[in-house]
Amino acid sequence: MTKELTYLNYLKQDRLPHQWCPGCGNGIVLKLACQAMEKLNFLKTGTVMVSGIGCSGRSAGFFDLDSVHTAHGRALPVAEGIKLANEKLNVMVISGDGDLFGIGGNHLLHASRRNTDITIICISNAIYGMTGGQCSPTTELSSRTLTTPRGNVDTPINVQALVTAHNCFYARSTTYHLNHALKCITEALQHKGLSFVEIKSQCITNDGRRRGFKNSYEMLMSYKDTYKINNNSSVLEHDEIGIIK
Amino acid sequence: MAAVKAGLNFFAGYPITPASEILHELVNQKTVKVLQMEDEIASVNAIIGASLAGAKSMTATSGPGFSLMQESIGHAHMMEVPLVIVNVQRVGPGTGMPTFPAQGDIMQCKYGSHGDYFPIVFYPNSVAELYEFTFNAFNAAEESLSPVILLSDSYVSHLYETIEEADYPVSNRTLAPLGTSNRHFTGLTHKDSSPVTSDHGVHKKLIKHLETKQKKVSRKYNNYEYIENKYSDILLITYGALSRAVYDLKEDFAIYRPVRIFPLVDKIKTIAKKYKEIVVMEMNAGQYVNEIERLLHREVNFIPILGGKIDLNEIWTKLRRIKTKK
Repeated sequence: MTKELTYLNYLKQDRLPHQWCPGCGNGIVLKLACQAMEKLNFLKTGTVMVSGIGCSGRSAGFFDLDSVHTAHGRALPVAEGIKLANEKLNVMVISGDGDLFGIGGNHLLHASRRNTDITIICISNAIYGMTGGQCSPTTELSSRTLTTPRGNVDTPINVQALVTAHNCFYARSTTYHLNHALKCITEALQHKGLSFVEIKSQCITNDGRRRGFKNSYEMLMSYKDTYKINNNSSVLEHDEIGIIK
Repeated sequence: MAAVKAGLNFFAGYPITPASEILHELVNQKTVKVLQMEDEIASVNAIIGASLAGAKSMTATSGPGFSLMQESIGHAHMMEVPLVIVNVQRVGPGTGMPTFPAQGDIMQCKYGSHGDYFPIVFYPNSVAELYEFTFNAFNAAEESLSPVILLSDSYVSHLYETIEEADYPVSNRTLAPLGTSNRHFTGLTHKDSSPVTSDHGVHKKLIKHLETKQKKVSRKYNNYEYIENKYSDILLITYGALSRAVYDLKEDFAIYRPVRIFPLVDKIKTIAKKYKEIVVMEMNAGQYVNEIERLLHREVNFIPILGGKIDLNEIWTKLRRIKTKK
Protein backbone atom coordinates (compact mmCIF):
# COMPACT_ATOMS: atom_id res chain seq x y z
CA MET A 1 0.00 0.00 0.00
CA THR A 2 1.32 3.41 -0.90
CA LYS A 3 1.89 5.88 1.86
CA GLU A 4 -0.89 8.27 0.80
CA LEU A 5 -3.54 5.61 1.25
CA THR A 6 -2.87 4.75 4.88
CA TYR A 7 -6.12 6.47 5.89
CA LEU A 8 -7.82 3.41 4.40
CA ASN A 9 -6.80 1.54 7.55
CA TYR A 10 -9.70 3.22 9.29
CA LEU A 11 -12.17 1.64 6.86
CA LYS A 12 -13.43 -1.90 6.48
CA GLN A 13 -11.89 -2.39 3.07
CA ASP A 14 -13.81 -5.57 2.37
CA ARG A 15 -16.97 -3.42 2.42
CA LEU A 16 -15.64 -1.06 -0.25
CA PRO A 17 -16.64 0.23 -2.73
CA HIS A 18 -19.50 1.88 -0.84
CA GLN A 19 -23.03 1.74 -2.21
CA TRP A 20 -23.63 5.50 -2.56
CA CYS A 21 -24.53 6.95 -5.97
CA PRO A 22 -21.77 8.12 -8.31
CA GLY A 23 -21.05 11.78 -7.56
CA CYS A 24 -22.27 11.61 -3.96
CA GLY A 25 -20.43 13.67 -1.35
CA ASN A 26 -20.68 11.09 1.45
CA GLY A 27 -17.55 9.23 0.34
CA ILE A 28 -15.57 12.48 0.41
CA VAL A 29 -16.59 13.09 4.02
CA LEU A 30 -15.80 9.48 4.91
CA LYS A 31 -12.27 9.99 3.57
CA LEU A 32 -11.89 13.34 5.36
CA ALA A 33 -12.92 11.78 8.66
CA CYS A 34 -10.34 9.01 8.20
CA GLN A 35 -7.62 11.51 7.28
CA ALA A 36 -8.39 13.61 10.34
CA MET A 37 -8.23 10.56 12.60
CA GLU A 38 -4.94 9.55 11.00
CA LYS A 39 -3.53 13.04 11.46
CA LEU A 40 -4.31 12.89 15.16
CA ASN A 41 -3.09 9.29 15.50
CA PHE A 42 -6.42 8.06 16.77
CA LEU A 43 -6.30 4.44 17.81
CA LYS A 44 -8.93 2.24 16.21
CA THR A 45 -9.77 0.79 19.59
CA GLY A 46 -10.88 3.68 21.72
CA THR A 47 -12.79 5.41 18.95
CA VAL A 48 -16.50 4.91 18.36
CA MET A 49 -18.50 6.03 15.35
CA VAL A 50 -22.22 6.73 15.68
CA SER A 51 -24.66 7.53 12.90
CA GLY A 52 -28.36 8.04 12.42
CA ILE A 53 -30.55 7.04 9.49
CA GLY A 54 -30.35 8.07 5.87
CA CYS A 55 -27.71 7.81 3.17
CA SER A 56 -25.13 9.36 5.47
CA GLY A 57 -26.37 7.16 8.30
CA ARG A 58 -24.78 4.25 6.52
CA SER A 59 -21.30 5.76 7.02
CA ALA A 60 -20.71 4.29 10.47
CA GLY A 61 -20.73 0.75 9.09
CA PHE A 62 -17.76 1.42 6.81
CA PHE A 63 -15.33 2.31 9.59
CA ASP A 64 -13.07 -0.37 10.94
CA LEU A 65 -14.07 0.69 14.46
CA ASP A 66 -16.86 -0.22 16.83
CA SER A 67 -19.83 1.63 15.42
CA VAL A 68 -23.50 2.12 16.18
CA HIS A 69 -26.20 2.75 13.61
CA THR A 70 -28.98 4.26 15.70
CA ALA A 71 -32.69 4.87 15.10
CA HIS A 72 -33.65 7.88 12.98
CA GLY A 73 -32.59 11.13 14.66
CA ARG A 74 -31.20 9.47 17.77
CA ALA A 75 -27.46 9.48 17.09
CA LEU A 76 -26.81 12.30 19.59
CA PRO A 77 -28.36 10.81 22.73
CA VAL A 78 -26.71 7.47 21.94
CA ALA A 79 -23.33 9.20 21.46
CA GLU A 80 -23.80 11.11 24.71
CA GLY A 81 -24.66 7.90 26.52
CA ILE A 82 -21.50 6.25 25.18
CA LYS A 83 -19.27 9.18 26.11
CA LEU A 84 -20.68 9.54 29.60
CA ALA A 85 -20.47 5.83 30.31
CA ASN A 86 -16.83 5.68 29.18
CA GLU A 87 -15.16 9.08 29.06
CA LYS A 88 -11.93 7.67 27.61
CA LEU A 89 -13.55 6.95 24.26
CA ASN A 90 -13.38 9.33 21.29
CA VAL A 91 -16.98 9.55 20.15
CA MET A 92 -17.77 10.78 16.65
CA VAL A 93 -21.15 11.19 15.00
CA ILE A 94 -21.59 11.27 11.22
CA SER A 95 -25.10 11.93 10.07
CA GLY A 96 -27.24 13.96 7.73
CA ASP A 97 -29.09 17.25 8.04
CA GLY A 98 -32.55 15.64 8.08
CA ASP A 99 -31.47 13.29 10.84
CA LEU A 100 -29.70 15.87 13.01
CA PHE A 101 -31.86 18.97 12.50
CA GLY A 102 -35.23 17.50 11.54
CA ILE A 103 -36.24 14.44 13.52
CA GLY A 104 -33.29 14.85 15.91
CA GLY A 105 -33.46 18.65 16.23
CA ASN A 106 -34.46 18.65 19.87
CA HIS A 107 -31.52 16.41 20.74
CA LEU A 108 -29.07 18.79 19.03
CA LEU A 109 -30.50 21.70 21.01
CA HIS A 110 -30.01 19.91 24.30
CA ALA A 111 -26.76 18.15 23.43
CA SER A 112 -25.17 21.53 22.72
CA ARG A 113 -26.55 22.79 26.02
CA ARG A 114 -24.97 19.86 27.86
CA ASN A 115 -21.75 20.35 25.85
CA THR A 116 -20.72 16.70 26.04
CA ASP A 117 -17.30 16.04 24.54
CA ILE A 118 -18.37 14.54 21.22
CA THR A 119 -17.66 15.52 17.61
CA ILE A 120 -20.53 15.74 15.16
CA ILE A 121 -19.93 15.77 11.42
CA CYS A 122 -23.05 16.71 9.53
CA ILE A 123 -23.22 15.85 5.85
CA SER A 124 -25.54 18.67 4.94
CA ASN A 125 -26.95 18.09 1.45
CA ALA A 126 -30.18 20.08 1.85
CA ILE A 127 -32.32 17.11 0.88
CA TYR A 128 -33.79 13.82 2.14
CA GLY A 129 -31.85 11.81 -0.42
CA MET A 130 -32.54 8.22 0.61
CA THR A 131 -36.30 8.64 0.52
CA GLY A 132 -36.31 10.18 -2.94
CA GLY A 133 -35.59 13.88 -2.53
CA GLN A 134 -37.95 15.63 -0.13
CA CYS A 135 -37.39 19.10 1.29
CA SER A 136 -35.14 19.02 4.39
CA PRO A 137 -34.54 21.52 7.22
CA THR A 138 -31.54 22.94 5.33
CA THR A 139 -33.18 23.23 1.89
CA GLU A 140 -32.67 26.78 0.60
CA LEU A 141 -35.61 29.16 0.14
CA SER A 142 -37.44 28.66 -3.16
CA SER A 143 -35.44 25.53 -3.92
CA ARG A 144 -37.43 22.86 -5.78
CA THR A 145 -37.74 19.38 -4.31
CA LEU A 146 -40.32 16.57 -4.51
CA THR A 147 -42.32 18.11 -1.69
CA THR A 148 -41.80 21.74 -2.69
CA PRO A 149 -42.61 21.59 -6.43
CA ARG A 150 -43.20 25.36 -6.55
CA GLY A 151 -40.15 26.16 -4.44
CA ASN A 152 -39.45 25.94 -0.71
CA VAL A 153 -41.35 28.56 1.31
CA ASP A 154 -39.61 27.94 4.66
CA THR A 155 -36.32 29.44 5.76
CA PRO A 156 -33.50 26.90 6.22
CA ILE A 157 -32.48 26.22 9.81
CA ASN A 158 -29.72 28.42 11.23
CA VAL A 159 -27.47 25.71 12.64
CA GLN A 160 -24.65 28.12 13.37
CA ALA A 161 -26.83 30.19 15.68
CA LEU A 162 -28.23 27.09 17.32
CA VAL A 163 -24.86 25.50 18.08
CA THR A 164 -22.97 28.68 18.96
CA ALA A 165 -25.81 29.84 21.22
CA HIS A 166 -24.34 27.49 23.82
CA ASN A 167 -20.74 28.39 22.94
CA CYS A 168 -20.00 25.10 21.24
CA PHE A 169 -17.47 24.65 18.45
CA TYR A 170 -19.03 25.24 15.03
CA ALA A 171 -17.35 24.91 11.65
CA ARG A 172 -18.75 25.03 8.15
CA SER A 173 -17.07 23.74 5.04
CA THR A 174 -17.93 22.05 1.75
CA THR A 175 -16.97 18.93 -0.15
CA TYR A 176 -15.14 21.19 -2.63
CA HIS A 177 -12.85 22.83 -0.04
CA LEU A 178 -11.10 19.59 0.93
CA ASN A 179 -8.14 21.03 2.85
CA HIS A 180 -10.39 23.44 4.68
CA ALA A 181 -12.87 20.69 5.55
CA LEU A 182 -10.04 18.48 6.82
CA LYS A 183 -8.80 21.33 9.00
CA CYS A 184 -12.32 21.83 10.36
CA ILE A 185 -12.71 18.15 11.28
CA THR A 186 -9.23 17.92 12.79
CA GLU A 187 -9.78 20.98 14.97
CA ALA A 188 -13.22 19.72 15.94
CA LEU A 189 -11.75 16.42 17.09
CA GLN A 190 -9.21 18.28 19.22
CA HIS A 191 -11.85 20.51 20.77
CA LYS A 192 -12.91 19.72 24.33
CA GLY A 193 -16.68 19.77 24.49
CA LEU A 194 -19.26 19.46 21.79
CA SER A 195 -17.95 20.28 18.33
CA PHE A 196 -20.09 20.52 15.24
CA VAL A 197 -18.84 20.46 11.66
CA GLU A 198 -21.38 21.14 8.95
CA ILE A 199 -20.11 20.02 5.57
CA LYS A 200 -22.18 21.20 2.63
CA SER A 201 -22.41 18.24 0.34
CA GLN A 202 -23.96 17.45 -3.02
CA CYS A 203 -26.72 15.02 -3.90
CA ILE A 204 -26.97 14.93 -7.67
CA THR A 205 -29.40 12.00 -7.87
CA ASN A 206 -32.28 13.38 -5.84
CA ASP A 207 -31.55 17.08 -5.56
CA GLY A 208 -29.08 18.57 -8.04
CA ARG A 209 -30.67 17.20 -11.18
CA ARG A 210 -34.04 18.70 -10.24
CA ARG A 211 -32.38 22.07 -9.70
CA GLY A 212 -30.78 22.13 -13.15
CA PHE A 213 -27.30 20.78 -12.42
CA LYS A 214 -25.99 18.43 -15.10
CA ASN A 215 -23.62 16.53 -12.82
CA SER A 216 -22.07 16.67 -9.38
CA TYR A 217 -19.00 18.43 -10.77
CA GLU A 218 -21.22 21.42 -11.51
CA MET A 219 -22.53 21.28 -7.97
CA LEU A 220 -18.98 21.24 -6.58
CA MET A 221 -18.11 24.21 -8.78
CA SER A 222 -21.12 26.07 -7.40
CA TYR A 223 -19.64 25.57 -3.90
CA LYS A 224 -16.38 26.98 -5.20
CA ASP A 225 -18.17 30.05 -6.55
CA THR A 226 -20.52 30.54 -3.60
CA TYR A 227 -18.45 29.94 -0.49
CA LYS A 228 -15.54 32.12 0.62
CA ILE A 229 -13.26 31.21 3.48
CA ASN A 230 -13.57 33.53 6.46
CA ASN A 231 -10.94 33.09 9.16
CA ASN A 232 -11.49 36.17 11.27
CA SER A 233 -15.07 36.49 12.22
CA SER A 234 -17.27 35.40 15.07
CA VAL A 235 -20.22 34.93 12.76
CA LEU A 236 -20.24 33.30 9.34
CA GLU A 237 -22.46 34.79 6.63
CA HIS A 238 -24.54 32.32 4.66
CA ASP A 239 -21.95 32.30 1.83
CA GLU A 240 -18.91 31.95 4.08
CA ILE A 241 -17.11 28.92 5.47
CA GLY A 242 -14.89 28.89 8.53
CA ILE A 243 -14.48 27.90 12.15
CA ILE A 244 -16.10 29.48 15.19
CA LYS A 245 -14.81 28.34 18.56
CA MET B 1 -31.78 0.04 45.72
CA ALA B 2 -32.04 -3.35 44.09
CA ALA B 3 -30.94 -1.85 40.79
CA VAL B 4 -27.77 -0.50 42.39
CA LYS B 5 -27.04 -3.89 43.94
CA ALA B 6 -27.73 -5.59 40.62
CA GLY B 7 -24.92 -3.51 39.15
CA LEU B 8 -26.65 -0.42 37.74
CA ASN B 9 -24.06 2.13 36.55
CA PHE B 10 -26.05 4.42 34.30
CA PHE B 11 -29.53 5.88 34.41
CA ALA B 12 -31.18 8.33 32.05
CA GLY B 13 -34.71 9.55 32.53
CA TYR B 14 -37.28 12.26 32.09
CA PRO B 15 -39.64 13.37 34.87
CA ILE B 16 -43.06 11.73 34.73
CA THR B 17 -45.69 10.93 37.34
CA PRO B 18 -45.66 8.33 38.88
CA ALA B 19 -42.13 7.19 38.00
CA SER B 20 -40.07 10.27 38.96
CA GLU B 21 -39.30 8.91 42.42
CA ILE B 22 -36.85 6.45 40.88
CA LEU B 23 -34.96 9.34 39.27
CA HIS B 24 -34.96 11.27 42.58
CA GLU B 25 -33.61 8.27 44.47
CA LEU B 26 -30.85 7.40 42.00
CA VAL B 27 -29.51 10.96 41.79
CA ASN B 28 -28.20 10.47 45.31
CA GLN B 29 -26.45 7.19 44.59
CA LYS B 30 -22.71 7.61 44.28
CA THR B 31 -22.11 4.63 42.02
CA VAL B 32 -24.67 5.57 39.36
CA LYS B 33 -24.26 8.17 36.65
CA VAL B 34 -27.63 9.85 36.27
CA LEU B 35 -28.65 11.94 33.31
CA GLN B 36 -31.88 13.90 33.06
CA MET B 37 -32.63 14.06 29.35
CA GLU B 38 -34.89 16.27 27.24
CA ASP B 39 -37.47 13.51 26.66
CA GLU B 40 -38.05 9.79 26.93
CA ILE B 41 -36.75 9.12 23.43
CA ALA B 42 -33.43 10.67 24.37
CA SER B 43 -33.45 8.77 27.68
CA VAL B 44 -33.85 5.34 26.14
CA ASN B 45 -31.26 6.14 23.47
CA ALA B 46 -28.78 7.43 26.03
CA ILE B 47 -29.02 4.15 27.93
CA ILE B 48 -28.62 2.22 24.67
CA GLY B 49 -25.35 4.08 24.10
CA ALA B 50 -24.22 3.69 27.71
CA SER B 51 -25.06 0.00 27.74
CA LEU B 52 -23.08 -0.61 24.57
CA ALA B 53 -20.20 1.29 26.16
CA GLY B 54 -20.23 -1.24 29.00
CA ALA B 55 -22.49 0.22 31.69
CA LYS B 56 -25.47 -1.64 33.10
CA SER B 57 -28.22 0.80 32.23
CA MET B 58 -31.80 1.50 33.12
CA THR B 59 -34.55 4.05 32.55
CA ALA B 60 -37.90 4.49 34.25
CA THR B 61 -41.08 6.01 32.89
CA SER B 62 -44.85 5.75 32.73
CA GLY B 63 -47.29 5.07 29.89
CA PRO B 64 -46.87 8.26 27.80
CA GLY B 65 -43.07 8.04 28.00
CA PHE B 66 -43.17 4.33 27.32
CA SER B 67 -45.10 5.04 24.11
CA LEU B 68 -42.36 7.43 23.02
CA MET B 69 -39.69 4.81 23.65
CA GLN B 70 -41.24 2.11 21.51
CA GLU B 71 -39.24 2.64 18.31
CA SER B 72 -35.95 2.49 20.13
CA ILE B 73 -36.99 -0.56 22.16
CA GLY B 74 -37.49 -2.49 18.92
CA HIS B 75 -34.21 -1.06 17.68
CA ALA B 76 -32.43 -2.30 20.81
CA HIS B 77 -33.89 -5.78 20.28
CA MET B 78 -32.44 -5.76 16.77
CA MET B 79 -29.04 -4.49 17.98
CA GLU B 80 -29.17 -6.88 20.96
CA VAL B 81 -28.49 -4.34 23.69
CA PRO B 82 -29.07 -5.30 27.35
CA LEU B 83 -31.33 -2.71 29.05
CA VAL B 84 -33.85 -2.50 31.84
CA ILE B 85 -36.91 -0.34 31.28
CA VAL B 86 -39.21 0.30 34.21
CA ASN B 87 -42.76 1.29 33.37
CA VAL B 88 -44.87 2.51 36.29
CA GLN B 89 -48.29 2.39 34.69
CA ARG B 90 -50.98 5.04 35.05
CA VAL B 91 -54.48 5.44 33.64
CA GLY B 92 -54.54 6.12 29.88
CA PRO B 93 -54.89 6.60 26.98
CA GLY B 94 -53.64 10.14 26.47
CA THR B 95 -52.72 11.98 29.61
CA GLY B 96 -55.41 9.98 31.41
CA MET B 97 -55.25 9.97 35.20
CA PRO B 98 -51.58 10.46 36.04
CA THR B 99 -51.79 9.58 39.72
CA PHE B 100 -54.00 6.51 39.48
CA PRO B 101 -52.91 2.94 38.73
CA ALA B 102 -53.82 1.03 35.60
CA GLN B 103 -52.58 -1.94 33.64
CA GLY B 104 -53.08 -0.57 30.18
CA ASP B 105 -49.56 -1.05 28.81
CA ILE B 106 -49.59 -4.85 28.76
CA MET B 107 -49.95 -5.22 25.01
CA GLN B 108 -47.63 -2.30 24.40
CA CYS B 109 -44.85 -4.20 26.19
CA LYS B 110 -45.17 -7.07 23.75
CA TYR B 111 -46.31 -5.44 20.52
CA GLY B 112 -45.48 -1.74 20.95
CA SER B 113 -42.67 -1.50 18.42
CA HIS B 114 -42.91 -2.41 14.77
CA GLY B 115 -41.67 -5.78 13.54
CA ASP B 116 -41.14 -9.06 15.36
CA TYR B 117 -39.47 -9.19 18.73
CA PHE B 118 -39.88 -11.31 21.83
CA PRO B 119 -39.55 -9.28 25.01
CA ILE B 120 -39.23 -10.59 28.55
CA VAL B 121 -41.59 -8.72 30.89
CA PHE B 122 -41.90 -8.98 34.68
CA TYR B 123 -44.76 -7.57 36.74
CA PRO B 124 -44.26 -7.97 40.52
CA ASN B 125 -46.97 -6.99 43.00
CA SER B 126 -45.16 -5.98 46.19
CA VAL B 127 -42.14 -3.97 47.27
CA ALA B 128 -40.29 -7.15 48.22
CA GLU B 129 -41.01 -8.66 44.83
CA LEU B 130 -40.03 -5.46 43.04
CA TYR B 131 -36.70 -5.71 44.83
CA GLU B 132 -36.22 -9.33 43.82
CA PHE B 133 -37.39 -8.88 40.25
CA THR B 134 -35.17 -5.88 39.64
CA PHE B 135 -32.30 -8.36 40.02
CA ASN B 136 -34.09 -10.78 37.70
CA ALA B 137 -34.69 -8.05 35.14
CA PHE B 138 -31.02 -7.04 35.09
CA ASN B 139 -29.88 -10.66 34.93
CA ALA B 140 -32.33 -11.56 32.17
CA ALA B 141 -31.22 -8.49 30.20
CA GLU B 142 -27.57 -9.51 30.43
CA GLU B 143 -28.30 -13.13 29.57
CA SER B 144 -30.59 -12.37 26.64
CA LEU B 145 -28.85 -9.19 25.41
CA SER B 146 -32.20 -7.50 25.08
CA PRO B 147 -34.31 -4.80 26.74
CA VAL B 148 -36.22 -6.33 29.66
CA ILE B 149 -39.32 -4.55 30.88
CA LEU B 150 -40.14 -4.30 34.56
CA LEU B 151 -43.77 -3.30 34.97
CA SER B 152 -45.29 -1.67 37.98
CA ASP B 153 -48.20 0.65 38.60
CA SER B 154 -48.67 3.76 40.68
CA TYR B 155 -50.26 1.58 43.36
CA VAL B 156 -47.48 -0.94 43.88
CA SER B 157 -44.69 1.58 43.46
CA HIS B 158 -46.07 3.92 46.11
CA LEU B 159 -46.33 1.27 48.79
CA TYR B 160 -44.17 1.29 51.90
CA GLU B 161 -43.41 -2.26 52.94
CA THR B 162 -40.76 -4.05 54.89
CA ILE B 163 -38.33 -5.97 52.77
CA GLU B 164 -35.31 -8.12 53.35
CA GLU B 165 -32.28 -6.67 51.59
CA ALA B 166 -31.10 -9.98 50.27
CA ASP B 167 -28.19 -10.26 47.86
CA TYR B 168 -29.45 -12.16 44.87
CA PRO B 169 -26.97 -13.56 42.35
CA VAL B 170 -25.93 -11.06 39.67
CA SER B 171 -25.18 -11.96 36.05
CA ASN B 172 -22.12 -10.26 34.68
CA ARG B 173 -21.76 -8.50 31.36
CA THR B 174 -20.70 -10.79 28.54
CA LEU B 175 -20.88 -8.25 25.71
CA ALA B 176 -17.52 -6.52 25.15
CA PRO B 177 -17.83 -2.73 25.51
CA LEU B 178 -17.53 -0.31 22.59
CA GLY B 179 -14.03 0.72 21.62
CA THR B 180 -12.51 -2.74 21.78
CA SER B 181 -13.19 -4.13 18.32
CA ASN B 182 -14.69 -3.32 14.92
CA ARG B 183 -18.28 -4.46 15.36
CA HIS B 184 -21.15 -2.59 13.75
CA PHE B 185 -24.36 -2.41 15.79
CA THR B 186 -27.22 -1.71 13.43
CA GLY B 187 -30.98 -1.82 13.44
CA LEU B 188 -30.90 -2.98 9.84
CA THR B 189 -31.16 -6.68 9.12
CA HIS B 190 -27.59 -7.81 9.49
CA LYS B 191 -25.22 -10.73 9.39
CA ASP B 192 -21.75 -10.77 10.93
CA SER B 193 -21.81 -7.04 11.74
CA SER B 194 -22.70 -6.02 8.17
CA PRO B 195 -26.09 -4.80 6.99
CA VAL B 196 -27.84 -7.23 4.62
CA THR B 197 -31.08 -5.64 3.50
CA SER B 198 -32.14 -7.72 0.52
CA ASP B 199 -31.67 -11.33 1.63
CA HIS B 200 -34.89 -12.79 3.02
CA GLY B 201 -33.12 -15.84 4.35
CA VAL B 202 -30.81 -13.76 6.52
CA HIS B 203 -33.79 -11.94 8.03
CA LYS B 204 -35.65 -15.17 8.79
CA LYS B 205 -32.55 -16.57 10.48
CA LEU B 206 -32.07 -13.38 12.51
CA ILE B 207 -35.66 -13.39 13.80
CA LYS B 208 -35.43 -17.10 14.60
CA HIS B 209 -32.22 -16.38 16.52
CA LEU B 210 -33.92 -13.60 18.53
CA GLU B 211 -36.89 -15.86 19.32
CA THR B 212 -34.85 -18.87 20.42
CA LYS B 213 -32.57 -16.72 22.55
CA GLN B 214 -35.46 -15.07 24.39
CA LYS B 215 -37.25 -18.39 24.96
CA LYS B 216 -34.11 -19.97 26.32
CA VAL B 217 -33.43 -17.18 28.81
CA SER B 218 -37.05 -16.82 29.88
CA ARG B 219 -37.15 -20.51 30.87
CA LYS B 220 -34.91 -19.56 33.81
CA TYR B 221 -37.56 -17.18 35.10
CA ASN B 222 -40.81 -19.19 35.18
CA ASN B 223 -42.22 -16.98 37.88
CA TYR B 224 -45.88 -17.25 38.88
CA GLU B 225 -47.98 -17.67 41.98
CA TYR B 226 -50.78 -20.21 42.26
CA ILE B 227 -53.17 -20.41 45.18
CA GLU B 228 -55.05 -23.66 44.86
CA ASN B 229 -58.63 -23.97 46.04
CA LYS B 230 -60.09 -27.49 46.06
CA TYR B 231 -63.58 -26.26 46.85
CA SER B 232 -63.87 -23.95 43.88
CA ASP B 233 -64.17 -24.68 40.19
CA ILE B 234 -63.37 -21.11 39.22
CA LEU B 235 -59.83 -19.86 38.63
CA LEU B 236 -59.12 -16.13 38.83
CA ILE B 237 -56.19 -14.86 36.79
CA THR B 238 -54.84 -11.51 37.90
CA TYR B 239 -51.53 -9.68 38.34
CA GLY B 240 -49.93 -6.51 39.69
CA ALA B 241 -51.79 -4.11 41.96
CA LEU B 242 -55.15 -5.76 41.33
CA SER B 243 -53.90 -9.17 42.47
CA ARG B 244 -53.35 -7.78 45.98
CA ALA B 245 -57.03 -6.95 46.29
CA VAL B 246 -58.03 -10.26 44.74
CA TYR B 247 -56.08 -12.15 47.43
CA ASP B 248 -59.08 -11.45 49.68
CA LEU B 249 -61.13 -13.82 47.52
CA LYS B 250 -58.87 -16.82 47.98
CA GLU B 251 -61.37 -18.52 50.34
CA ASP B 252 -63.86 -18.75 47.51
CA PHE B 253 -61.74 -19.01 44.37
CA ALA B 254 -58.44 -20.33 43.13
CA ILE B 255 -56.00 -17.63 42.07
CA TYR B 256 -53.24 -17.67 39.47
CA ARG B 257 -50.88 -14.72 39.22
CA PRO B 258 -48.21 -14.59 36.51
CA VAL B 259 -45.12 -12.55 37.41
CA ARG B 260 -43.22 -13.10 34.20
CA ILE B 261 -46.11 -11.99 32.07
CA PHE B 262 -44.28 -12.31 28.75
CA PRO B 263 -43.48 -14.80 27.32
CA LEU B 264 -46.50 -16.47 28.98
CA VAL B 265 -45.61 -19.12 31.54
CA ASP B 266 -46.80 -22.46 30.12
CA LYS B 267 -47.78 -23.78 33.52
CA ILE B 268 -51.16 -22.06 33.23
CA LYS B 269 -52.18 -24.69 30.65
CA THR B 270 -52.05 -27.53 33.19
CA ILE B 271 -53.46 -25.44 36.03
CA ALA B 272 -56.41 -24.24 33.96
CA LYS B 273 -57.48 -27.82 33.15
CA LYS B 274 -58.60 -28.30 36.75
CA TYR B 275 -61.17 -25.50 36.60
CA LYS B 276 -64.52 -25.18 34.83
CA GLU B 277 -64.43 -21.42 34.56
CA ILE B 278 -61.50 -19.10 34.07
CA VAL B 279 -61.91 -15.42 34.97
CA VAL B 280 -59.28 -12.89 33.96
CA MET B 281 -59.31 -9.62 35.88
CA GLU B 282 -57.12 -6.72 34.87
CA MET B 283 -57.12 -2.93 35.03
CA ASN B 284 -57.76 -2.36 31.35
CA ALA B 285 -60.50 -3.02 28.81
CA GLY B 286 -59.14 -6.44 27.88
CA GLN B 287 -55.51 -7.11 27.02
CA TYR B 288 -53.96 -10.08 28.82
CA VAL B 289 -57.27 -11.95 28.56
CA ASN B 290 -56.74 -12.34 24.83
CA GLU B 291 -53.29 -13.82 25.36
CA ILE B 292 -54.70 -16.26 27.93
CA GLU B 293 -57.58 -17.25 25.64
CA ARG B 294 -55.17 -17.82 22.80
CA LEU B 295 -52.89 -19.98 24.92
CA LEU B 296 -55.69 -22.07 26.48
CA HIS B 297 -57.87 -22.41 23.38
CA ARG B 298 -61.04 -21.98 25.43
CA GLU B 299 -63.55 -19.35 26.39
CA VAL B 300 -62.46 -17.13 29.24
CA ASN B 301 -64.54 -14.71 31.36
CA PHE B 302 -63.29 -11.21 31.75
CA ILE B 303 -63.76 -8.50 34.37
CA PRO B 304 -62.30 -5.12 33.46
CA ILE B 305 -61.40 -2.65 36.23
CA LEU B 306 -61.22 0.84 34.79
CA GLY B 307 -60.45 4.30 36.14
CA GLY B 308 -57.86 3.30 38.73
CA LYS B 309 -60.35 2.30 41.42
CA ILE B 310 -60.45 -1.25 42.77
CA ASP B 311 -63.84 -2.05 44.33
CA LEU B 312 -64.18 -5.57 45.71
CA ASN B 313 -67.98 -5.30 45.95
CA GLU B 314 -68.17 -4.58 42.26
CA ILE B 315 -65.89 -7.52 41.53
CA TRP B 316 -68.05 -9.76 43.76
CA THR B 317 -71.23 -8.82 41.91
CA LYS B 318 -69.66 -9.73 38.60
CA LEU B 319 -68.18 -12.96 39.95
CA ARG B 320 -71.59 -13.98 41.34
CA ARG B 321 -73.04 -13.58 37.87
CA ILE B 322 -70.38 -15.90 36.47
CA LYS B 323 -71.01 -18.37 39.30
CA THR B 324 -74.77 -18.51 38.70
CA LYS B 325 -74.35 -18.67 34.92
CA LYS B 326 -73.36 -22.33 35.10
